[in-house]
Amino acid sequence: MLNALSPTSVVASRAFFPPLLAAGFLLLLVVLASLLYGAGPVSASDAIAALMANGTEEAWFVVTELRLPRTIIALVTGLALGLAGALLQSMTRNPLAEPGLLGVSAGSGFAVALAILLGATTATLTTLVAQLGALAGCALVIAATRVQGLGNDPVRLVLAGATLTGLLLALTSMLMLIDQRAADEIRFWITGSVAGKPLSILWATLPSITLALVLMATVARPLAAMALGEKAAVGLGHHPGRIRFLITLTVALLVGSATALAGPLIFVGLVVPFIARAFSGPDIRKTLWLCVPVGPAVVLGADVVSRLIAAPAEMPLGVVTALIGAPVLLAIVRAGRMPSL
Amino acid sequence: MSQPQTATLAADDITLAHRQFVVAENLSLHLPTAQVTAIVGPNGCGKSTLLNGLARIHTPKGGSVLLDGKDIHRLPSKEVARKLALLPQDNTAPEGLTVADLVRFGRQPHQGWMTQWSKEDQRAFDQAIQAADVAGLADRALDTLSGGQRQRAWIAMAVAQQTPLLLLDEPTSALDLGHQIEVFELIRALSGQGKTIAMVVHDLASACRYADHMVAMKNGTIIEEGAPAEIVSPELVQELYGVSCDLIHDPATGSPLLVNVRRNP
Amino acid sequence: MPDKRNALVNTALLGLLVLATIISLATGTVQVSLFDTLRALAGNADPITDFVINELRLSRVIAGLLSGAALAMAGCLMQTLARNRLATPGIIGIDNAATAFAVASVVGVGLSLAPSAMALAGAAAATAIAFGLAGANGTRGYRFIVAGIGIGAIAGAVTQVMLSRVAIDAANAAYPWTVGSLNARSGQSVLVLGMGLAAGYLVLMSLSRALNTLQFTDAVAIALGTRLKATRIIGLGLSVMLTGLAVSVCGPVGLIALLAPELARALCRPGKVPLTAAALAGASFMLIADLLGRTLFAPLEIPVGIITAIVGSPYLLWILLRPSPRSLT
Repeated sequence: MLNALSPTSVVASRAFFPPLLAAGFLLLLVVLASLLYGAGPVSASDAIAALMANGTEEAWFVVTELRLPRTIIALVTGLALGLAGALLQSMTRNPLAEPGLLGVSAGSGFAVALAILLGATTATLTTLVAQLGALAGCALVIAATRVQGLGNDPVRLVLAGATLTGLLLALTSMLMLIDQRAADEIRFWITGSVAGKPLSILWATLPSITLALVLMATVARPLAAMALGEKAAVGLGHHPGRIRFLITLTVALLVGSATALAGPLIFVGLVVPFIARAFSGPDIRKTLWLCVPVGPAVVLGADVVSRLIAAPAEMPLGVVTALIGAPVLLAIVRAGRMPSL
Repeated sequence: MSQPQTATLAADDITLAHRQFVVAENLSLHLPTAQVTAIVGPNGCGKSTLLNGLARIHTPKGGSVLLDGKDIHRLPSKEVARKLALLPQDNTAPEGLTVADLVRFGRQPHQGWMTQWSKEDQRAFDQAIQAADVAGLADRALDTLSGGQRQRAWIAMAVAQQTPLLLLDEPTSALDLGHQIEVFELIRALSGQGKTIAMVVHDLASACRYADHMVAMKNGTIIEEGAPAEIVSPELVQELYGVSCDLIHDPATGSPLLVNVRRNP
Repeated sequence: MPDKRNALVNTALLGLLVLATIISLATGTVQVSLFDTLRALAGNADPITDFVINELRLSRVIAGLLSGAALAMAGCLMQTLARNRLATPGIIGIDNAATAFAVASVVGVGLSLAPSAMALAGAAAATAIAFGLAGANGTRGYRFIVAGIGIGAIAGAVTQVMLSRVAIDAANAAYPWTVGSLNARSGQSVLVLGMGLAAGYLVLMSLSRALNTLQFTDAVAIALGTRLKATRIIGLGLSVMLTGLAVSVCGPVGLIALLAPELARALCRPGKVPLTAAALAGASFMLIADLLGRTLFAPLEIPVGIITAIVGSPYLLWILLRPSPRSLT
């Protein structure tokens, strides 16, 4: 049975690499599209010319100073959210467990709003606050899933998350009403968007993301074993409590970083693992590997769409992810029984 | 007077299906008036489905259920409820509901749109709680009662409906011996008052003891029908449940008893 | 019959409502004494007080009263139909959808029907979609709820899109709509709501016996002579209508549809669906929430939807998360 879990099993690999390669290829295409297309006056051909070092100053500026950072930020956000979603769903064994739906992103946003209200201004500080907010949110959510009976009822957890999100959004709105000056700045943070964000934010989140990736690598195999049930995992020599703690920390770091980069985005953590699982099956390690190209592809793809769909204006990324994600949610529901993890 | 003294219920060549799965085909059954009919059979033979079909809970895919000779599904549901009462298998009630509240629901089929509680209703209510012997429990909440008491309360509701026909789906499955006897004796008493009763019974021995008429089902068909003393035999038991047994007669009541029940080698 | 407890509860709630109404009318930038408020309502006060009470505030208070009652009744209905304490039209995205449609009419996108009609259309559309996706169990399964979350999210996103694409004035005008506020109401919407509420209440009173039997299993309800399908369709239709009309007046004020019926159920005898009590409680909650919104940070006004979310969510979370044996159904 263990052999079946190991990704080095030959039969498994054969089925696994084509989707991985395809996803990687798709990702490259999306990156290219992101550099070429935008809402502004620099067209695709201008951009190509710029990349070939043949273009105008303006085109070069737009591609390297605007689109490139934006692309990178979107990629990192997608990576973080996709992985976080997959981890959370595997740990709670709930296919609807999504950091956005469960209020973690809203918690992060609220923490940032509060911090701004209280005077925080530098990018680093708000990034840190976003991550702390996400950590608190995650801890709450994980504690909630440990409540008796809740683990078996995915819908109740999602309802609780929706309620928490509503509460946090209302509190954030209230903060914005109380202090008009801070309101504009808060609005900039809490609207899910990667537009106009400076690369400096990325440097601020890089340590957390790196730590999260390292943690994830260590915890992936035990997590796969936990899919057999906690008692079986203990029998194999793992420590479920410790694993849960590490995963909570990992998810918090990932979601906090993503929210610090792009504001609260819902549904990404639902869509990406959903797509990945379609090709990887129930093995969490394969799912995580597939999330690596799929996550960035989805978010960056959504960002490209957000630039084009309402040109010359831009639609906020959060709106596009909601529009993409909700049908996926509905598809999961329509599929009959809740797909088991 | 709003209560007919007798009514007849029959299934005429009905086919019952659950989703796409056909449970019973071409079933015909006529409930003998003022008697207790027990429907028995192994799990999955369709006895509950048949009972629910008779009670118009399920609509047959073919054939019809006849109440006093008319197709039950063409009659207004309220009118049917004045002639036929059902005690379904699953009896969850709102939390905190008292026995009296429950029994009062039984009067609904007799109450019009905006009519208040009438003297007739009160009389039927009092009669019902007396008959089921739950008068002392009237203000107790259902969830504080024992299984037997709860079933009697539900039967009281069915009695308050003042119907000549009463159908019960496994009325004693979850009850211990003492409570089982309690409920079966109540059912016999109601039959003595002239009600036509049909019940799905899990336990063959109880069915033999308390029923006048027995209908044995297997795989969606009625394989035997008649008085228990006449149709219950080791061969029937073998066919229904796949076990061997010996048959004796209860010295006190004369009803057939199964002994030495064993699996076939 | 011993409905004395229910009658008592209803009277007490009515008293609460009257109190809330009078205090709401009396409170504001111009403080009016309670006594003067009563005199103004009777037509006996001086012109200024009369103006403040009857011209400025009365319509708002009436709007709050009616929409609170409608939302509460819709919630109570939905919970009875779904056999689930947590079922509210909001949970299945109806109020977000109604808002999206209403905002569309306010900012001039698409058909230019009155907000009432648009809100109704939105509510109906969302319900139809949720039903279509819910499958065999209809309102009683979990798929209905999850479908509703998805629909609510889409509707919310669409509202955002509309707001981001119109002129800043129109967007600001539509903002209260999106969080739930009594500020953006139109007199016509309130009138339609009033009529809908009255008509709905009458229909529900005649349906109350059938609704009471829905508290049992389907088989029991049928056995007692209830026409299940008809009752469910009418019930759902009324719930959608009441929500749509209420949203057209106050926007998506959440949680009243949940909290008011909860209170009603806690106070009244079990066994009867407490529609009247829920309506009275809902009206009171709305007025109290609006009052808090106007006074907590005066002169700043917090929209009533935000207040209900902040006050009501912890209670809802407590229901959802406590490991108690008490079921949700």
